[in-house]
Amino acid sequence: MKKTSFHFLRVGLAITFLWIGVLIFKNPEAWGGYLQPWAAGLLPVPLAQALIGTAILDITIGALLLIDVLTWLAALVGAIHIVIVLTVSGITDITVRDIGLLVAALALMIDALPEWVLHKINRPKISN
Amino acid sequence: MTALALLFTLSAIGISETVYLIRKRLASERPVCPIGDSCTLVLSSRYSKIFVIPNDVLGLLFYIMASFVSGFLVIGIEPLESWTFTFAFLVAAGTLLSLFFTYLQWRVIKAWCFWCVMSACTIWLMGVILVASIILKL
Repeated sequence: MKKTSFHFLRVGLAITFLWIGVLIFKNPEAWGGYLQPWAAGLLPVPLAQALIGTAILDITIGALLLIDVLTWLAALVGAIHIVIVLTVSGITDITVRDIGLLVAALALMIDALPEWVLHKINRPKISN
Repeated sequence: MTALALLFTLSAIGISETVYLIRKRLASERPVCPIGDSCTLVLSSRYSKIFVIPNDVLGLLFYIMASFVSGFLVIGIEPLESWTFTFAFLVAAGTLLSLFFTYLQWRVIKAWCFWCVMSACTIWLMGVILVASIILKL
Protein backbone atom coordinates (compact mmCIF):
# COMPACT_ATOMS: atom_id res chain seq x y z
CA MET A 1 0.00 0.00 0.00
CA LYS A 2 1.27 3.49 -0.75
CA LYS A 3 2.38 5.39 2.36
CA THR A 4 -0.21 8.17 2.04
CA SER A 5 -3.16 5.83 1.54
CA PHE A 6 -1.95 3.73 4.49
CA HIS A 7 -2.02 6.77 6.78
CA PHE A 8 -5.44 7.88 5.50
CA LEU A 9 -6.81 4.42 6.27
CA ARG A 10 -5.05 4.30 9.67
CA VAL A 11 -6.36 7.67 10.87
CA GLY A 12 -9.85 7.03 9.47
CA LEU A 13 -10.12 3.68 11.20
CA ALA A 14 -8.66 5.14 14.40
CA ILE A 15 -11.34 7.84 14.51
CA THR A 16 -14.04 5.21 13.93
CA PHE A 17 -12.86 3.05 16.84
CA LEU A 18 -12.40 6.06 19.14
CA TRP A 19 -15.81 7.50 18.36
CA ILE A 20 -17.59 4.16 18.78
CA GLY A 21 -15.83 3.80 22.14
CA VAL A 22 -17.05 7.22 23.25
CA LEU A 23 -20.62 6.47 22.10
CA ILE A 24 -20.66 3.15 23.98
CA PHE A 25 -19.46 4.97 27.13
CA LYS A 26 -22.36 7.42 26.68
CA ASN A 27 -25.00 4.71 26.77
CA PRO A 28 -23.72 1.15 27.29
CA GLU A 29 -27.14 -0.39 27.91
CA ALA A 30 -28.46 0.85 24.56
CA TRP A 31 -25.55 -0.78 22.74
CA GLY A 32 -26.32 -4.01 24.58
CA GLY A 33 -29.51 -4.15 22.52
CA TYR A 34 -27.44 -5.18 19.50
CA LEU A 35 -26.42 -8.40 21.24
CA GLN A 36 -28.27 -11.60 20.32
CA PRO A 37 -29.98 -13.18 23.40
CA TRP A 38 -27.77 -16.30 23.18
CA ALA A 39 -24.64 -14.12 23.25
CA ALA A 40 -25.92 -11.98 26.15
CA GLY A 41 -26.53 -15.21 28.09
CA LEU A 42 -22.88 -16.20 27.72
CA LEU A 43 -21.55 -13.05 29.39
CA PRO A 44 -19.83 -13.74 32.76
CA VAL A 45 -20.38 -10.10 33.85
CA PRO A 46 -23.41 -7.74 33.70
CA LEU A 47 -24.15 -6.41 30.21
CA ALA A 48 -23.27 -2.78 31.05
CA GLN A 49 -19.88 -3.82 32.45
CA ALA A 50 -19.13 -5.92 29.36
CA LEU A 51 -20.01 -2.98 27.12
CA ILE A 52 -17.80 -0.61 29.14
CA GLY A 53 -14.97 -3.12 28.66
CA THR A 54 -15.73 -3.05 24.92
CA ALA A 55 -15.60 0.75 24.95
CA ILE A 56 -12.19 0.69 26.66
CA LEU A 57 -10.95 -1.83 24.07
CA ASP A 58 -12.30 0.29 21.20
CA ILE A 59 -10.63 3.44 22.55
CA THR A 60 -7.33 1.61 23.11
CA ILE A 61 -7.36 0.25 19.54
CA GLY A 62 -8.25 3.71 18.20
CA ALA A 63 -5.52 5.44 20.22
CA LEU A 64 -2.82 2.99 19.07
CA LEU A 65 -3.90 3.36 15.44
CA LEU A 66 -3.98 7.14 15.77
CA ILE A 67 -0.45 7.50 17.13
CA ASP A 68 0.88 4.75 14.81
CA VAL A 69 2.24 2.57 17.62
CA LEU A 70 1.83 -1.23 17.35
CA THR A 71 -0.42 -0.53 14.39
CA TRP A 72 -0.40 -4.13 13.16
CA LEU A 73 -1.40 -5.47 16.59
CA ALA A 74 -4.10 -2.83 17.07
CA ALA A 75 -5.49 -3.59 13.59
CA LEU A 76 -5.37 -7.35 14.29
CA VAL A 77 -7.20 -6.97 17.63
CA GLY A 78 -9.63 -4.58 15.89
CA ALA A 79 -10.32 -7.15 13.16
CA ILE A 80 -10.88 -9.93 15.72
CA HIS A 81 -13.12 -7.57 17.68
CA ILE A 82 -15.22 -6.83 14.57
CA VAL A 83 -15.52 -10.58 13.80
CA ILE A 84 -16.85 -11.08 17.35
CA VAL A 85 -19.26 -8.15 16.88
CA LEU A 86 -20.50 -9.67 13.60
CA THR A 87 -20.98 -13.04 15.32
CA VAL A 88 -22.83 -11.82 18.41
CA SER A 89 -24.99 -9.19 16.72
CA GLY A 90 -26.27 -11.34 13.87
CA ILE A 91 -27.18 -10.09 10.40
CA THR A 92 -28.66 -6.60 10.61
CA ASP A 93 -28.98 -3.52 8.40
CA ILE A 94 -25.48 -2.37 9.38
CA THR A 95 -23.70 -5.71 8.90
CA VAL A 96 -22.34 -4.58 5.55
CA ARG A 97 -20.67 -1.59 7.20
CA ASP A 98 -18.96 -3.88 9.71
CA ILE A 99 -17.68 -6.00 6.84
CA GLY A 100 -16.13 -2.88 5.31
CA LEU A 101 -14.48 -2.04 8.64
CA LEU A 102 -13.25 -5.61 9.03
CA VAL A 103 -11.58 -5.63 5.61
CA ALA A 104 -10.08 -2.17 6.26
CA ALA A 105 -8.60 -3.41 9.57
CA LEU A 106 -7.21 -6.52 7.86
CA ALA A 107 -5.65 -4.43 5.06
CA LEU A 108 -4.03 -2.18 7.64
CA MET A 109 -2.77 -5.14 9.67
CA ILE A 110 -1.26 -6.86 6.62
CA ASP A 111 0.46 -3.67 5.48
CA ALA A 112 1.83 -2.84 8.93
CA LEU A 113 3.20 -6.29 9.79
CA PRO A 114 6.71 -5.93 11.23
CA GLU A 115 9.70 -7.67 9.67
CA TRP A 116 9.98 -10.35 12.35
CA VAL A 117 6.39 -11.47 11.83
CA LEU A 118 6.84 -11.52 8.04
CA HIS A 119 10.04 -13.51 8.52
CA LYS A 120 8.18 -16.08 10.62
CA ILE A 121 5.39 -16.37 8.05
CA ASN A 122 7.77 -16.65 5.09
CA ARG A 123 10.29 -18.99 6.76
CA PRO A 124 11.12 -21.73 4.24
CA LYS A 125 9.99 -25.20 5.31
CA ILE A 126 12.80 -27.74 5.73
CA SER A 127 11.99 -30.96 3.91
CA ASN A 128 13.43 -34.33 4.89
CA MET B 1 -23.91 15.96 18.95
CA THR B 2 -23.01 16.42 15.27
CA ALA B 3 -20.79 19.38 16.15
CA LEU B 4 -19.08 17.35 18.88
CA ALA B 5 -18.52 14.47 16.46
CA LEU B 6 -16.83 16.85 14.02
CA LEU B 7 -14.79 18.51 16.77
CA PHE B 8 -13.69 15.12 18.07
CA THR B 9 -12.72 14.03 14.55
CA LEU B 10 -10.69 17.19 13.96
CA SER B 11 -8.95 16.75 17.33
CA ALA B 12 -8.02 13.18 16.40
CA ILE B 13 -6.63 14.33 13.04
CA GLY B 14 -4.60 16.95 14.92
CA ILE B 15 -3.23 14.31 17.31
CA SER B 16 -2.05 12.08 14.44
CA GLU B 17 -0.44 15.06 12.69
CA THR B 18 1.42 16.39 15.74
CA VAL B 19 2.56 12.89 16.77
CA TYR B 20 4.00 12.50 13.26
CA LEU B 21 5.89 15.80 13.56
CA ILE B 22 7.19 14.96 17.06
CA ARG B 23 8.43 11.55 15.91
CA LYS B 24 10.20 13.08 12.91
CA ARG B 25 11.81 15.74 15.10
CA LEU B 26 12.99 13.19 17.69
CA ALA B 27 14.42 11.00 14.93
CA SER B 28 16.08 14.06 13.33
CA GLU B 29 14.32 13.26 10.07
CA ARG B 30 12.70 15.63 7.59
CA PRO B 31 8.92 15.40 7.54
CA VAL B 32 7.23 14.78 4.20
CA CYS B 33 6.29 18.15 2.72
CA PRO B 34 3.42 17.42 0.29
CA ILE B 35 3.07 21.03 -0.89
CA GLY B 36 6.13 23.26 -1.20
CA ASP B 37 9.54 22.49 0.26
CA SER B 38 9.79 24.93 3.16
CA CYS B 39 8.60 22.67 5.99
CA THR B 40 12.11 22.12 7.38
CA LEU B 41 12.87 25.84 7.20
CA VAL B 42 9.81 26.70 9.29
CA LEU B 43 10.05 23.74 11.67
CA SER B 44 13.71 24.42 12.45
CA SER B 45 13.33 28.19 12.78
CA ARG B 46 13.75 29.99 16.11
CA TYR B 47 9.96 30.35 16.24
CA SER B 48 9.41 26.58 16.44
CA LYS B 49 9.38 26.78 20.25
CA ILE B 50 7.57 28.85 22.84
CA PHE B 51 10.18 29.27 25.60
CA VAL B 52 11.45 25.68 25.78
CA ILE B 53 8.33 23.85 24.62
CA PRO B 54 8.30 22.86 20.93
CA ASN B 55 5.16 23.96 19.09
CA ASP B 56 4.36 20.38 18.03
CA VAL B 57 4.19 19.35 21.71
CA LEU B 58 1.93 22.32 22.47
CA GLY B 59 -0.26 21.33 19.53
CA LEU B 60 -0.44 17.73 20.72
CA LEU B 61 -1.46 18.86 24.23
CA PHE B 62 -4.11 21.12 22.71
CA TYR B 63 -5.58 18.36 20.55
CA ILE B 64 -5.50 15.79 23.38
CA MET B 65 -7.34 18.20 25.69
CA ALA B 66 -9.83 19.05 22.92
CA SER B 67 -10.56 15.38 22.22
CA PHE B 68 -10.97 14.58 25.92
CA VAL B 69 -13.26 17.55 26.55
CA SER B 70 -15.41 16.80 23.47
CA GLY B 71 -15.57 13.16 24.61
CA PHE B 72 -16.64 14.25 28.12
CA LEU B 73 -19.35 16.46 26.60
CA VAL B 74 -20.67 13.56 24.49
CA ILE B 75 -20.66 11.12 27.40
CA GLY B 76 -22.29 13.76 29.61
CA ILE B 77 -19.71 13.96 32.39
CA GLU B 78 -20.62 16.82 34.74
CA PRO B 79 -20.11 19.78 35.03
CA LEU B 80 -21.10 20.23 31.37
CA GLU B 81 -21.05 24.06 31.54
CA SER B 82 -17.45 24.04 32.73
CA TRP B 83 -16.40 21.63 29.96
CA THR B 84 -18.16 23.76 27.36
CA PHE B 85 -16.40 26.88 28.66
CA THR B 86 -13.04 25.04 28.76
CA PHE B 87 -13.54 23.89 25.17
CA ALA B 88 -14.46 27.38 23.96
CA PHE B 89 -11.46 28.86 25.79
CA LEU B 90 -9.12 26.21 24.33
CA VAL B 91 -10.31 26.77 20.77
CA ALA B 92 -10.20 30.57 21.17
CA ALA B 93 -6.61 30.42 22.48
CA GLY B 94 -5.64 27.95 19.76
CA THR B 95 -7.19 30.14 17.06
CA LEU B 96 -5.27 33.21 18.23
CA LEU B 97 -2.00 31.32 18.51
CA SER B 98 -2.52 29.82 15.03
CA LEU B 99 -3.12 33.30 13.62
CA PHE B 100 0.15 34.43 15.19
CA PHE B 101 2.08 31.45 13.76
CA THR B 102 0.54 31.99 10.32
CA TYR B 103 1.61 35.64 10.48
CA LEU B 104 5.16 34.54 11.41
CA GLN B 105 5.29 32.23 8.37
CA TRP B 106 3.89 34.91 6.07
CA ARG B 107 5.81 38.00 7.19
CA VAL B 108 8.78 36.95 9.32
CA ILE B 109 10.07 33.55 8.15
CA LYS B 110 8.66 34.16 4.65
CA ALA B 111 8.15 30.44 4.11
CA TRP B 112 5.17 28.14 4.41
CA CYS B 113 5.02 24.80 6.20
CA PHE B 114 2.28 22.44 5.00
CA TRP B 115 1.80 20.83 8.42
CA CYS B 116 1.65 24.17 10.26
CA VAL B 117 -0.93 25.57 7.82
CA MET B 118 -2.95 22.34 8.04
CA SER B 119 -2.92 22.52 11.84
CA ALA B 120 -3.96 26.17 11.76
CA CYS B 121 -6.83 25.35 9.36
CA THR B 122 -7.89 22.46 11.63
CA ILE B 123 -8.10 24.78 14.64
CA TRP B 124 -9.90 27.52 12.68
CA LEU B 125 -12.39 24.95 11.41
CA MET B 126 -12.95 23.86 15.03
CA GLY B 127 -13.63 27.50 15.87
CA VAL B 128 -16.11 27.86 13.00
CA ILE B 129 -17.95 24.68 14.03
CA LEU B 130 -18.06 25.79 17.68
CA VAL B 131 -19.40 29.27 16.81
CA ALA B 132 -21.93 27.79 14.35
CA SER B 133 -23.17 25.29 16.95
CA ILE B 134 -23.58 28.10 19.53
CA ILE B 135 -25.47 30.29 17.03
CA LEU B 136 -27.76 27.41 16.04
CA LYS B 137 -28.57 26.77 19.72
CA LEU B 138 -29.66 30.41 20.25
